[in-house]
Amino acid sequence: MPDLIQLALDQGVPQETIIYILMYPVILTVIAAARQVVGIKAFGIYTPSIIAVAFLATTLKYGLAIFFVVLAVALGTRFILKSSKLLYISKTAIMLSVVALAVLAFLALGGSFRRTGLANVSIFPLLIMITIVEKFVVVQIENGFKTAMYLAVETIFLASVCYYLVKWEAFQNLVLAYPAIVVLIVILNIALGKWTGLRLSEYFRFRDVINNVELPRKK
Amino acid sequence: MLSYLERSKLILGMNARNMLYVRPYNPKSAKKIADDKLLCKKVLKKADLPVPFLLGKIRNPEELANFDWNTLPKSFVLKPNRGLGGEGIMVVYGKNKKSGNWVKADRQEITIPELEAHIRNVFEGNYSLSGQPDTVFFEERVKLNRIFKPYSYRGIPDVRIIVFNRMPIMAMLRLPTEQSRGRANLHLGGICLGIDLTTGVTTHAISRNLSTQQDYRIEYLPGTRIPLAGIRIPYWQESLEIASMCQEVSGLGFLGVDIMLDRDRGPVVAEINARPGLSIQNANQAPLRERLERVKGLKISSAKKGVRLAQDLFGGEIEEEVEEATGKRVVGIFKKIIIEGPRGKRIVDAKLDTGAYYTSIDEELAIELGFGEVVKAFKEYFPHFHGSLMFPGKDIDYQLAETRKIRDLHIEEIVQKSTGLLQNIRLVSSSNGISIRPVIETKIILDRSAILTKATIVRRKHLRFPVIIGRKSLKSFIIDVGKKKEESL
Repeated sequence: MPDLIQLALDQGVPQETIIYILMYPVILTVIAAARQVVGIKAFGIYTPSIIAVAFLATTLKYGLAIFFVVLAVALGTRFILKSSKLLYISKTAIMLSVVALAVLAFLALGGSFRRTGLANVSIFPLLIMITIVEKFVVVQIENGFKTAMYLAVETIFLASVCYYLVKWEAFQNLVLAYPAIVVLIVILNIALGKWTGLRLSEYFRFRDVINNVELPRKK
Repeated sequence: MLSYLERSKLILGMNARNMLYVRPYNPKSAKKIADDKLLCKKVLKKADLPVPFLLGKIRNPEELANFDWNTLPKSFVLKPNRGLGGEGIMVVYGKNKKSGNWVKADRQEITIPELEAHIRNVFEGNYSLSGQPDTVFFEERVKLNRIFKPYSYRGIPDVRIIVFNRMPIMAMLRLPTEQSRGRANLHLGGICLGIDLTTGVTTHAISRNLSTQQDYRIEYLPGTRIPLAGIRIPYWQESLEIASMCQEVSGLGFLGVDIMLDRDRGPVVAEINARPGLSIQNANQAPLRERLERVKGLKISSAKKGVRLAQDLFGGEIEEEVEEATGKRVVGIFKKIIIEGPRGKRIVDAKLDTGAYYTSIDEELAIELGFGEVVKAFKEYFPHFHGSLMFPGKDIDYQLAETRKIRDLHIEEIVQKSTGLLQNIRLVSSSNGISIRPVIETKIILDRSAILTKATIVRRKHLRFPVIIGRKSLKSFIIDVGKKKEESL
């Protein structure tokens, strides 16, 4: 494993890329644990993980800014299109186009306020943010706006936690020095996959029942 | 008393539901039935289980264009076939005579073009799992049972019953409210009421805060002073048996069965659910995991048996409440008891008879228990005095006085001969006259409490119960005449 990393470095793969790739399983595990043990649902596992990666590329500050712009514009557009009798796919296409233009405007605006970091954001994190919109809309249709909003906040929270974990230097060094940690992560996930205990959120959800439980009298 | 952590292990959480119950017990083919309402209807109907009648279906735009709206009656329910959580359902309850338009449950009129638009939305998958294209069907509108009238807002309540291993494990009543706009789902603002499995009477109630998605307990119907506990669900036994049979027919091992109680038809199965929600635990204030684990692996041969066993195991909450409030135990009329005499104890069937004052036991049982000496000595002097009419035509006072005289004549001698076991000789007046009976002392264990009581010995061979327990021994009990015979002690 260390040889593989050395080889990649020798071939000119940036160290940052290697760290992020090695960290991706860590991010996934954090999200899986958040769901299985804590009870944070977010938008599944892929969405928060990919947003975490996008944050790594844009830095958290700009990442969050872009996320909220994208979401706000998407919701606004959707609201305007609501009464139109267009098919779902066409509506989504229009909405995503408007979002894309809004992001362009936002970047230009950021540049003019000398936020060079914003202007330098590469295309992929931007696209990632935009795809979140569709996820949001699907949840909104199925479970309502409140749930979608709730899950969006959870997603951002999880992505931020992952962001700080990956940016933590001591942890980065550890993973670089012992890439075998990634194997440990698989074992951890197997354990998580078999976990049948209550989630932390469920301790709260069922607190009344837990407090009142009495084992039935032996009959 | 268990610690908080130990108690929390009795709760069924999402992880355990999925890993331990949904996945191992619900095969894919069976889940298909649960997720496809039309298929489910067909499967249940084939098994002779009651379902709302199908009025028609529209599967694609072509069928929609050719659909003859005149085939629909005045009232009906439109449902997306794979709709989730009550979304996309439209209830139509009549026709406006003037305009000829249908009227929805929210009193709004709806025209055919509007109905068509709604159906096209369903086709597009706007109401189905992850936006898959869907079809619609029409079914009869279930009529509101009178009992539920004060409790429901523009919709039909339904009963959710969780079934596992042929046994109804837990149940709740779901009421449509103003907040849920006539739908009975908790996550839309409906109310859920826990149900005591034995009696079919509601116990606790919860509502959900839609912003925080947290359940909280309520006592009264929102906006009223109508208490939610104590509603007696009609057709209860039948509903439980239907739910149990749904499990067998669907092939799902762990499921939630939703039953509506039609005013005329009785219970009809609205749908079945392969991943039943967990808030039923909050509605019942009882843990599900512990119940499921208790019945795992039991061999249950029929729905009826499953229901009966479940009621014995998990029911009785109402009784326990009465017991708590009065300090008295609730027992049925028929009960197995342990009775003790000088020669040992026997387990026998007893009848709890509030019409009798004294407890009485059958002569043969008395001999078995070791009161043979008493019976022998008594018979020597009173061979004929077992409940016979002794002085026909005379009034009761005369009869009593005469019988007392006869008794007093011999009582001393009999007490002496019966080796101290005879306590007294008593006159007992009953519908067939006055009888003289020997009285002994015995210990009875009734519903786990021991009662030291005097009992008369009588020849009851022709009767079903060798022991009748009278009022005198029942002071710490409440008799529930509706309670079924219990096989347990």
